[in-house]
Amino acid sequence: MNRSIEAMWKEGFINEPNLAAPKINALYNLKSQNIVDKLQSMFALNIKALIIGSIIMMIMMSLIGAPFLGLYICCLLIPLVIIAKKELAKSTSLSKGQSSYDYLLNFDHWLKSSINTYAKYYRLFYPLFFIGMVTQALVSKAGGKIISLIMQKFPTDLVLLGIPYYLIIILTMLLLLVIKYSDALYRLDLNIVYGRQFKKLDELIADMKTLKS
Amino acid sequence: MGSDFYQLSILPYSGIIIKICRAYTNSQEDFEDYYQEVCLQIWRSKDNFNQQSKWSTWIYRISLNVCLTHLKKSKSGITDISSDALPEEVIDDSKAFINDDINQLYNAIKHLSEIDRALILLYLEEKTYAEIAEITGTNTNSIGVRINRVKERLHRHLNQQGVTNE
Repeated sequence: MNRSIEAMWKEGFINEPNLAAPKINALYNLKSQNIVDKLQSMFALNIKALIIGSIIMMIMMSLIGAPFLGLYICCLLIPLVIIAKKELAKSTSLSKGQSSYDYLLNFDHWLKSSINTYAKYYRLFYPLFFIGMVTQALVSKAGGKIISLIMQKFPTDLVLLGIPYYLIIILTMLLLLVIKYSDALYRLDLNIVYGRQFKKLDELIADMKTLKS
Repeated sequence: MGSDFYQLSILPYSGIIIKICRAYTNSQEDFEDYYQEVCLQIWRSKDNFNQQSKWSTWIYRISLNVCLTHLKKSKSGITDISSDALPEEVIDDSKAFINDDINQLYNAIKHLSEIDRALILLYLEEKTYAEIAEITGTNTNSIGVRINRVKERLHRHLNQQGVTNE
């Protein structure tokens, strides 16, 4: 055989019965599987998880005698719900009717902007969460007992609100570590879950960019 | 989606969608998923159609955008590859079409990267470089060179399979 691919293509599709459109069933209920829909469903699921998580936290903390901590964590999670809802609304406004390159760029821009928005809040969330947990631990009965034991072992006159200075230093250092690495921690989590998809998107954009240059 | 919209605005162009979706899938099940997804996206995006380009161009764009961003892990396991390399294994979906040559050609196309597949499909559909550039959002000047390279790779693959002798 000695034929060009153009001829194979042109002649091959003459009288090709398999070019008939496949039957479409329940298109309204079709589970979307492209990256946009995948991320939209992820955001929607995230909102639900945050709301359910807040309620569970409230109940659990109340049961263990720390209702204020439950309320505090709820207050920390509410802005995340608001952010997630806003990002979900933004993602639905993306149009697929652009050129592939522009579409991918816009999609990538939206994705990065969403991640940055979340990251900004997580930089506050993790330290505040840490402060809440530590405060609850210190004011609890068990926490009081532990502090007494520590004070017996390492006595000191430098005490602030019943907490020895060296414990305050350790907790402050831990808080600084949480502040320093909160952004990195969030991005690490994100990459573990979605790293493969992000890489694929970057490769596609890079490939198209070489064509554009 | 209204059946009128599907009958009037999608069905007459279903050949375009079928040809593109076939290049990005390896099984009938996946193909039908992609086809439905493209139809759904055309319907969702219909209000954004600005009449400046042809409706068929719009269909090409949406079909490619959906296929390029579709992250479903194919059960049959087509792997993404760079333009300069061939994957170790591509499942031969030889029952996609009745015509053997087309099946062989598609099998060769599936050895290309996703972007190269898009370019060669548009080229084979006799789109001009300007139209290809408009659909893919790329530069007209680089398209010709890239398509020639892709054609060479396709010919090499088809020769190895004993389909062509050029």
